[in-house]
Amino acid sequence: MKEYKVIGKSVRRLDAVEKATGTAGFTSDMKLPGMLYGKVLRSPHPHARIVSIDTSEAEKLPGVKAVATHKNTSRELFNTSATMTFTVPPMQPVLDQYIFDNVVRYVGDEVAAVAATSEKIAEAALKLIKVEYELLPTVYDPKEAMTTEAPVIHQCEMKNVPGEVIQIPFGDVEKGFAESDVIVEKEYKLPVVKQAQMETQAAVAQVSLDGKITVWCTTQTPHPTKMILAKLFSVPESKVRVLNPPYIGGGFGVRIGCSAKAEPIAVALSMLAKKPVKVVYSREEDFIASDTRHAGYVSVKLGAKKDGTFHAMHLKATLNGGAYCSFSVETPGVLGCMGLAVYRVPNQFYYGHSAYTNTTPAGAMRGFGNPQAMYAIESTVDMMAEKLGIDPLELRLKNIMQVGDPWVLPYKCGSTGLAECIEKGAKSIGWENRGKLNKPGAKKLRGIGMGVGTHVSNAWPFCGDYDNAYVTIQQDGSVHLASGVPDMGTGTSTTLPQLTAEVVGVSLDRVSMTLADTASTPFDIGSHASRALYAAGTAVVEAARDARRQVLEYAADLFKVAPERLVLEDSVIFPAGQTAGDDCAGSPVCTIGGKERKSITLKELAYDAHQRNKQFIGVGRIVPENAPPWHAHFAEVEVDTELCQVRVLRVAAVHDVGKAIHPVICEGQIEGGVLQGIGYALSEEIKYDDRGRQLENSFHKYMLPTADDVPEIETGLVEAHEPSGPFGAKGVGECGLVPTAPAITNAIYNATGIWFCEIPVTEEKMFRALKEKAGKTV
Amino acid sequence: MSLKILKFTLNGDPIEIAISPDEMLIDVLRDKLELTGTKKGCGKGECGACTVIMNGEAVNSCLVPAMKASCAVVETIEGVGSTDEFHPVQETFMDMGAIQCGFCTPGMIMSAKALLDRNTDPTSKEIKKSLAGNICRCTGYVKIKKAVQAAAEKMREKQ
Repeated sequence: MKEYKVIGKSVRRLDAVEKATGTAGFTSDMKLPGMLYGKVLRSPHPHARIVSIDTSEAEKLPGVKAVATHKNTSRELFNTSATMTFTVPPMQPVLDQYIFDNVVRYVGDEVAAVAATSEKIAEAALKLIKVEYELLPTVYDPKEAMTTEAPVIHQCEMKNVPGEVIQIPFGDVEKGFAESDVIVEKEYKLPVVKQAQMETQAAVAQVSLDGKITVWCTTQTPHPTKMILAKLFSVPESKVRVLNPPYIGGGFGVRIGCSAKAEPIAVALSMLAKKPVKVVYSREEDFIASDTRHAGYVSVKLGAKKDGTFHAMHLKATLNGGAYCSFSVETPGVLGCMGLAVYRVPNQFYYGHSAYTNTTPAGAMRGFGNPQAMYAIESTVDMMAEKLGIDPLELRLKNIMQVGDPWVLPYKCGSTGLAECIEKGAKSIGWENRGKLNKPGAKKLRGIGMGVGTHVSNAWPFCGDYDNAYVTIQQDGSVHLASGVPDMGTGTSTTLPQLTAEVVGVSLDRVSMTLADTASTPFDIGSHASRALYAAGTAVVEAARDARRQVLEYAADLFKVAPERLVLEDSVIFPAGQTAGDDCAGSPVCTIGGKERKSITLKELAYDAHQRNKQFIGVGRIVPENAPPWHAHFAEVEVDTELCQVRVLRVAAVHDVGKAIHPVICEGQIEGGVLQGIGYALSEEIKYDDRGRQLENSFHKYMLPTADDVPEIETGLVEAHEPSGPFGAKGVGECGLVPTAPAITNAIYNATGIWFCEIPVTEEKMFRALKEKAGKTV
Repeated sequence: MSLKILKFTLNGDPIEIAISPDEMLIDVLRDKLELTGTKKGCGKGECGACTVIMNGEAVNSCLVPAMKASCAVVETIEGVGSTDEFHPVQETFMDMGAIQCGFCTPGMIMSAKALLDRNTDPTSKEIKKSLAGNICRCTGYVKIKKAVQAAAEKMREKQ
């Protein structure tokens, strides 16, 4: 195996010093000369027409510089989802929102905004805006939204269904069920959950008097967000600059595009006020107005032969899209594709879509439909195992996808380490103890469960997808990388420089990176779909190779050998077969500055080139493929049958990440995902009251796991080489969340004998279930 | 509202500043004194991103009326360590993967420092408790807890 110098090593992150000292730049920390503060007036009603809006009193308040409503802002329809606004055929864009509209469709919908000299004045001005609403009928459940009685939220071909219904046929599913010996069918109900990233949505917009727009913001997709803003405000894209400053306080999907519209609102206010405007949402606004994960219903019908061979699967999803489309076409697509990609089932069918309701729009959140799919599928697989009398682990090993198997995706299954993940995870959790953990009569019941899954390493084929990067050798031989992807905490500002250093042949401290700035980096679709390292990284490798090639070609002239004979290592160039500084008689000699040399440093070479009016600029332009990461999670839980509480005691999470470019960052991604998965399984949910109001709209009410709730988490990495990834790497960012919930609910079944087909498994649900079970057995 | 003079010690320096008496400490620190290392994650004392150390105790600066800091000794992330010599908690956070997006990090480091300032040999339960008011959505807390443990060891070695 090739020995790498920079990659594969868990170096100190390059953003660590700034972040550990509080000096790292975030949007919410920014202040510009003359900057105003923007605040948004939000709808108190779930569905209403704005009959009249009077802003005159607000405008009169001293300190108020601009008031924006649907009357004086862009009437360009758009979609806050970057990928949907500019989607590629055959998918059609669904453009269903304005910055402000004269109809509001959920509690929290944007009605107007004020820019003032202080936040306090802006808030006071919001109270002076008089709005007369005509209330409209409402619907909150996606299935009800499709019935004839439901109000129309947006005109669609199929009642309240945004875009199209995704149908994925594979084999002959009817025949498959007819040939199956055992069939299990179940419907699952999924909750609304929230990314709850630490920094709320924020933007600072500056519109110069000659019409150039600069927006510092929390987006995960600076370049596509720039496209949205240019379209909205009818400005050439070349005059719009979108950048992170340079960090963002987490993302988990909520920032792909401009969900909750902080960016467009800041720009609209800045245009009206002719001053920079800062919009930072409160935590409550972030909870009620930025995209959530899709709630809804997923049903699974699984057919198998007596020996456990899966033979047919029908997967169906009806997701709650909320008030605007956002990612409501792609999410059911990913749900279906990921759900159908884990097991080799010759006959499958998927039917899925979203439906508009009068709730907060649902969009992208870590896993993007996949956690919904795998909670349902992995629960059903355990039910099937029980029905067949086969160990759930054995049943999975028998049926998991193998390299080269036909599947529903348009790219190859080029690698899988899933079997190894399962074996390692089983060992770590002590699978052999499953079923032997409880003494008769125990009030606290323990159980072990598992779940597996795959995901993507990139966004294609779910949206248009390409990446670019520049690698420039500076005049002193140090290296500059420019890539349009942000670092929302996932470590791209470390791992992409690692790739650069490895390819060029310099140490990591010689590389610096400009990221997430549309003015100084080439186009990139951004950080999502677990793609930044895999896809943007492929462009970075390409650019670094290009720069290195130019360096070696230049050096070859000096050494008078073919460039292929030269080595560039640790910033020194020398002919192959000798080491740097060797006094090797008969070797090619480089003449530089009148002196004969056996080797030359990159610093000397770059300066020599500078003196001859030349710089080495590597360009990477790639269309990335896609690749499946794999993962197996095991959970041990304890159910307190008196308090009706579930405690997760241990989780073993083993992931096939391909080549781990920075193992500690990989582990961190997995651990964070696991804890979010524990929240998904047990505590996190936003519910609505009968007036469409979000009941959980703060950290106090929305039950995130805290440091006190963390179980022992053992992570393991399996590195199945992925031929399409940089150095064999694939995605890791989203996977930790995917199979956690079913591992926990399967463990709960193992402990209590109760299947939970609705998450989160709260104390209330456990109380009811235990009572029902006792009633039945009495 | 008429302005009042607030006097306190901030990161070792005497501070005298005119503020509105209804202001919270977080806003004085971030907006008036431009010490933006202290983060605002919720403004309601629910996330711990704004944790500072006041008279030796970790507090949510968004819940402290600024006038309460009168005559107090306040320490923010800007007063912890330096590039010449980082605090052990900063060192271990940086080297053990305890930092991801970095938004909770200053508050997390302040909570950990407050604990280690009074106890360099905390149990894992004490570490959990001291961090329970600081939300991190990225890391799953695994590496954060390990980093605090390792920092405690470093501090004990130095003693």
